[in-house]
Amino acid sequence: MATESDGEEDTAGKLTGSRHLDVDDDLREMAKKAAWSVSSCKPGNGVLALRDDNLDTYWQSDGAQPHLVNIQFQKKVKLQLLVLYVDFNVDESYTPSKISIRAGDGFHNLKEIKTVELVKPVGWVHIPLSGTDPRETFIHTFMLQLAVLSNHLNGRDTHVRQIKIYGPRPNPVPHQPFHFISKEFITYSTLR
Amino acid sequence: METLMVDRVQSSLRLFMNRNAIFLCERLCAEFPSELNLQLLATCYLRNNQAYCAYHILKGSKMPQSRYLFAMSCFQMNLLREAEAALCPANEPNAEVPNGAAGHYLLGLIYRYTGRRTCAVDHFVQALGIDPLLWAAYEELCILEEASEYFNDAAAFRVQQQQLSESSSQNLTIGTEYQSLPSSMALGSGDTSPRHSKQLHANNTRETLSHPHGTVMAAGHPTISGPSNISQYYTPPAVAQLSGVAPPPLCRNAHLYLNAIGGDGSTKSNVNAAIQAPRRKFVDEGKLRKVSGRLFSDSGPRRSTRLSGEAAANTNSNASQLGGNGTNHSSAKYLGGLYSSSSSSKTNSTVLRSVTLRRGQPWANENFDEDNTVTTSSSMSALPDGKCLEQDKMGCGILAHDSRLTSGIREFLGLLRTLGEGYRLSCLYRSQEALEVYLRLSQHQFNTGWVLSQVGKAHFELVDYFEADRFFDLARRVSPYTLEGMDIYSTVLYHLKEEMKLSYLAQELISVDRLSPQAWCAMGNCYGRQNDHETALKNFQRAVHLDPRFAYAHTLCGHEYVALEDFENGIKCYQSSLQVDERHYNAWYGLGIVYLRQEKFEFAEHHFRKAFHINPRSSVLMCYLGMALHSLKRDEDALEVMEKAISADKKNPLPVYQKANILSSLERFDEALKELEQLKECAPRESSVYALMGKIYKRLNMHEKAMFYFGLALDLKPPAADVATIKSAMEKLYLPDELEDTL
Repeated sequence: MATESDGEEDTAGKLTGSRHLDVDDDLREMAKKAAWSVSSCKPGNGVLALRDDNLDTYWQSDGAQPHLVNIQFQKKVKLQLLVLYVDFNVDESYTPSKISIRAGDGFHNLKEIKTVELVKPVGWVHIPLSGTDPRETFIHTFMLQLAVLSNHLNGRDTHVRQIKIYGPRPNPVPHQPFHFISKEFITYSTLR
Repeated sequence: METLMVDRVQSSLRLFMNRNAIFLCERLCAEFPSELNLQLLATCYLRNNQAYCAYHILKGSKMPQSRYLFAMSCFQMNLLREAEAALCPANEPNAEVPNGAAGHYLLGLIYRYTGRRTCAVDHFVQALGIDPLLWAAYEELCILEEASEYFNDAAAFRVQQQQLSESSSQNLTIGTEYQSLPSSMALGSGDTSPRHSKQLHANNTRETLSHPHGTVMAAGHPTISGPSNISQYYTPPAVAQLSGVAPPPLCRNAHLYLNAIGGDGSTKSNVNAAIQAPRRKFVDEGKLRKVSGRLFSDSGPRRSTRLSGEAAANTNSNASQLGGNGTNHSSAKYLGGLYSSSSSSKTNSTVLRSVTLRRGQPWANENFDEDNTVTTSSSMSALPDGKCLEQDKMGCGILAHDSRLTSGIREFLGLLRTLGEGYRLSCLYRSQEALEVYLRLSQHQFNTGWVLSQVGKAHFELVDYFEADRFFDLARRVSPYTLEGMDIYSTVLYHLKEEMKLSYLAQELISVDRLSPQAWCAMGNCYGRQNDHETALKNFQRAVHLDPRFAYAHTLCGHEYVALEDFENGIKCYQSSLQVDERHYNAWYGLGIVYLRQEKFEFAEHHFRKAFHINPRSSVLMCYLGMALHSLKRDEDALEVMEKAISADKKNPLPVYQKANILSSLERFDEALKELEQLKECAPRESSVYALMGKIYKRLNMHEKAMFYFGLALDLKPPAADVATIKSAMEKLYLPDELEDTL
């Protein structure tokens, strides 16, 4: 579970973003092999900017709201956290303010799982994908869609600089009900 | 003019001025085209790591030595078929393999790398037949599992014969030697026996040719052979004195040498002077032998880089800080270095000085030292007796020499026998026995980098990581520049989760030799430990590029691919690893894991079983075999294997846990709980143990206990996936089992 640093959440559901990417060690980035697409983009500021690990490049949409970022995985994956980097100070009216996250098997059956509101965010915005039920720490899905419903200052188009998606690491020892955490177990748990 | 040119070329080669040698030699060949000169030129190229040049100039040559050099170039360029054709021409099936033992060894390697095992074995055996001290051939036999008693009395007899024939020819040439030595290089008397030359080649080849395959098992000879060898010199009470090499030049050079080094008492000076003796012996050979001698000492590309790097960097002081007999180290290293340069005594002092700077050719020195033990021990004892009176004693001393020679040989072979036995057993993964054999070695032999590494490796195979760590650490202390076996050490540290030590090791190895696969394997292990699988993979791929015949690098690539869930590439990597070394059980294990994940349980079981057959002592392998059997629902067999695993290694908690798992799936809950209670004692902070207990209590409907243990498990902060599982199990605690789907 991502730890939300102080100041990130003013009121329930309103996020402001933190300077540092703060992700637990037992999570790993899941979307390297996924297919990313966007609903529209300005030439030169396309979908690649979302994945290039460069906070200076950004995706700029170029169409009607809502602006969509679609992430399709090769198989059903467990996801826990979505993190995006936005910067109000630089992007102002391009900064997203209301974001909806949908999940499903494909474009035909996406269902909204979370809505968040951002208030002048600067930095990484951590959005946990779990529900309150402990059974729902992860969402199990083929596809994720991030929809920017509205921007700050009623801007039409949006800038998003980076998006990362996290899920749990697989157990290095296959077919185990639980992970091993103690040193004694880990030493003997695999051969190399 | 020709002789002058030849002389210059050879002295350049001796002093490692390769470009100068090449230039002069090219002029020589233009002026006096002859096959011998071509051979010299090829040698210059091979020295300078330009195998392709040597290849082109020697193409089509028929003389045995040319064929050998050509085969060598082909081998380095990985043109194995041509190399084979050169050594064993198809239209002359009965032609003798050039250079005897060395040729057979090279041929054996070629056969091994082209997958013709029986032929390979055959040639290695022949090589050992011709030169019983050819350790590298023995090593290959061990790897191919065909080794047996080689360093025995028959071998002793053969070596003795060789030495005697050498010494007789030495006596003949001693006069001429003596006179011509101080002045010129190209000494005329080249009538030493063919076997003598073979020995030189064999000695040199051994060291270099063992390099190409560079697997973990490759020649990792003791780096610090200095102290050991010196004591070795002294152990045989009456060391055989080979035809006394003329002392006066020795004297003079010994003085020079002493001045250069600032000697540390007679031992060193003796050794140093002794060094000159065998060199001079070989100096008198025709230039062919000299050429080939130098050729082999430098044809391993990695070694050359290391040489050029280290020659510049190292100093006497560095040499002296190694081990107790610090200065003796350096002298022993000089031994190796000098031997490989096979220079004449004229250039002794300069060579010696330049060679003093050389250090850390780990495997080189042992080879040469071992070999020299017999040959140089004679000169050793010669020196204290009054150097300048040697020549007089020579004549009458010959008979007495023989008996000392015999005992010296026997002693040497005894040492090789022990080492050989230990190595053979560890190749067969009979690690416990191997350890016992290594313990029989003398203190000074044991405390050498190679032996300590081997011992560490044996412990690793037995899954005794703490002991392995200890021995590898000692090995590093004794010889900090050894790279052989350090990849295994990095894996040991990986398993022990010693991230600091591991990253320190990796950094050190990279700084020693950026072009060694072991260093990059260690680096990769470092990143792998921190779960940065992409970077780890990149590092392992680098290791593979540096040496595609290094099986472990392939296996580690495979592991990283699997961690990244790219099973296809993982399987490919494991298979490449097995192509290099069929007995690399880690690769079999890796394949088993992939199939286990893909739920192809029969394949998984088959592969784990293969791994287990290769290394039957590993409790981890047994555990996984049991897990595969359990997945196949062969629970009785699974439990049996688990029992074996538990008894094989008391420190390994995993088989106990797996046993409990299997028992609980068989609904033998009480037994399962008993096992888990035991585990609780030895691993009290393992959340999975409590979680499993909670699960069992839940099945037994003992809800309070279940809650208690689930709570304990959660307190230990397991990863999020487990937290989710446990929490949902807790929620469903009061629901009947039929509604339960995952737990």
